[in-house]
Amino acid sequence: MPLHFKTLGFIALLWLTTACNLSPDIDDAIDLDGTQIYDPSLAHPEQYLLSYQHPAPTSDQLNLPVAITVHGFSASTWEWDEFCQWSHDRGQLLTSQVLLGGHGIDYQAFKTASWGEWQRPILEEYQRLEAMGYKHLYLAGSSTGATLILELMASGKLAGSQRPESIIMIDPIIIPSNKFLSLVGFVGPIMGFVETPLDEAENGHYYKYRPHEALNQLLRLTDRVRHDLEDDITLPPGTTLTVYKSLRDASADPVSALLLYKGISTSAGKPTVKMVDSDLHVFTYLKGSNNVSEHDKTLQNQTFMEMEAIMHGR
Amino acid sequence: MQRDLNIKHRHPLCSILLVLWMPLWPGMVWAQSHEINVGVRLQKSLHLYWENGFTLHYAHTGVLRGDLHAGLTYATSRWGSAWHSNAIRQDQYLLSGTYYFRHEKRWQPFIRANTGYFWADMEEAIFEVLPHQSLLLSAECGIRLRFRTPLRVAPSLGYNFITGDGISGPGTLYPIFYQITMTYAFAF
Repeated sequence: MPLHFKTLGFIALLWLTTACNLSPDIDDAIDLDGTQIYDPSLAHPEQYLLSYQHPAPTSDQLNLPVAITVHGFSASTWEWDEFCQWSHDRGQLLTSQVLLGGHGIDYQAFKTASWGEWQRPILEEYQRLEAMGYKHLYLAGSSTGATLILELMASGKLAGSQRPESIIMIDPIIIPSNKFLSLVGFVGPIMGFVETPLDEAENGHYYKYRPHEALNQLLRLTDRVRHDLEDDITLPPGTTLTVYKSLRDASADPVSALLLYKGISTSAGKPTVKMVDSDLHVFTYLKGSNNVSEHDKTLQNQTFMEMEAIMHGR
Repeated sequence: MQRDLNIKHRHPLCSILLVLWMPLWPGMVWAQSHEINVGVRLQKSLHLYWENGFTLHYAHTGVLRGDLHAGLTYATSRWGSAWHSNAIRQDQYLLSGTYYFRHEKRWQPFIRANTGYFWADMEEAIFEVLPHQSLLLSAECGIRLRFRTPLRVAPSLGYNFITGDGISGPGTLYPIFYQITMTYAFAF
C-alpha cells in the first residue's frame, strides 16, 4: 500500500520531535555537564588567570615568559594543571590557564556556544596581559585549543597586538581520527549527543556528553583552519611554532601534523614538528588517565622541559 | 534498422573516422557490440578534498544487454584540492562495476561497486611512519543522463567502507564522497 503524504509528514514530525527531545542522563552530582559542578576558574579566576592573579605586576614579573594555556574540546582548565603546577614549582615562567567559552559550565552552555565563543577568552586574556605590560607572551594549546590559537593567527585577530614569541601545540586537531565526525550534520540531529567514556578521575573535569551542535562547531572550526592551511598561514616575523603530535592518537588524527607542517610558514621557514611515541591524546595530561606508564611520565617531563626551554629562547 | 557497419575492409583512416563518427548517430550506437565511455570524474569527499581524474568504462551488449559496465578510474587531489595549495597529494586507483537500470532510457539510475588502491604522499621522512596507503572498497548510487549525442553525465553519492583513523589507515580517507562523471561514448 503506498504511503500517504500525511503518513510521511507524521513520520517526519515524529522524527523531528524525538530528535529535538534527545537529552542525556546527566548526574548533577558527578558530571561537569550538570548544574552543580563548574570549572573552578569561574569562581576563582585569580587562581587560574594571570591577569587576575597579579593586578599590579612587578617589573620582574613583566619580564618573565608567560604561557597562556588553552585546553581542548569538552575539557577544562584541568587539562593544563600539571604543566602549570610544574612551572610554578620551578619558578622559571608564569602561566595563565584559560577556560574556553561554553566550557566548564553545563551541557546547555556547551550546546549553545559557537567555536567563536570558545575562542573569545583566549583573545581577552592575551589582550589583558599585553595591556598590563607583559613582554613575553607564549601560547600553548592542546587539541582544539591549538586549533583555536591557529585560527586566531590566521584570521588576524591578533594583528594589532604584540606578536606571541612562540606557539606550542600538543596534539592539535585538524583532521579528526574518527571520520564519522564528518557525518555529524546528518546523523547528529538523530543522535542528539554522543556519550564519551571518562576515566573515574576525569568526572567533573570533562564534559561526558557531547551535543551534536558542539560537534558541528568543532567540524566547522577544523574545516575552516584546514582551508586556511591549504592557502598557507604565515606567522608574524620572529614567532616560532613547535608541534608535538602523538603517533597513535584516537582523537586527533596524526596526519594533522603533516597539514600543519605543509600549511604554516614562519620567518625561519617551517615549524618544528615532533612525532611523539605515545598512544595518548594530549600526552602531557596524565593525571586523569588510569593507565600511565613510566614512558608516559618521562615523555611528559621531557616535553615540559622543552617547553620551558622554548619559552626561555634556549 | 541496422546498417552494415563492417569496417574491416575499409582504409584504416576511414575506419577510425567512422568509429569516431558512429556514436553521433544514436540509432546506430546500440546496434554495436562494444561501448567504451571515456571521460572525467570530479569527486569530492565530504569535509575533505576534491580529487579529480579520468575514467574509462567498457560494456558489451552481450552482457546484460550492455547495462553492466566495467571501469577503470584514476582520481587525485593533485588535480583537485592540492592544485597549487598545501593540501595533501593523494591518488585513488579504482576498478569498478556499474549496473544501469532502465535500459536505453534517458535517465538511468545506477549502482556501482569500486575497489582499488589509495596512496597519500607524506613528503617528509618524519611523516612516513604514518599510514598512507590502503585498499579501497566503496559503493555508489546515482543517476546517469544520456543525451542525444554520446555525452553521458552521471552524478552519484558514494560510501567508502574502508576509512582511516591515522593509526591503522590513512587519515585522509573519508567515508562519504560525491562525484560527477562526464563521458563520451564510443560504440563499435
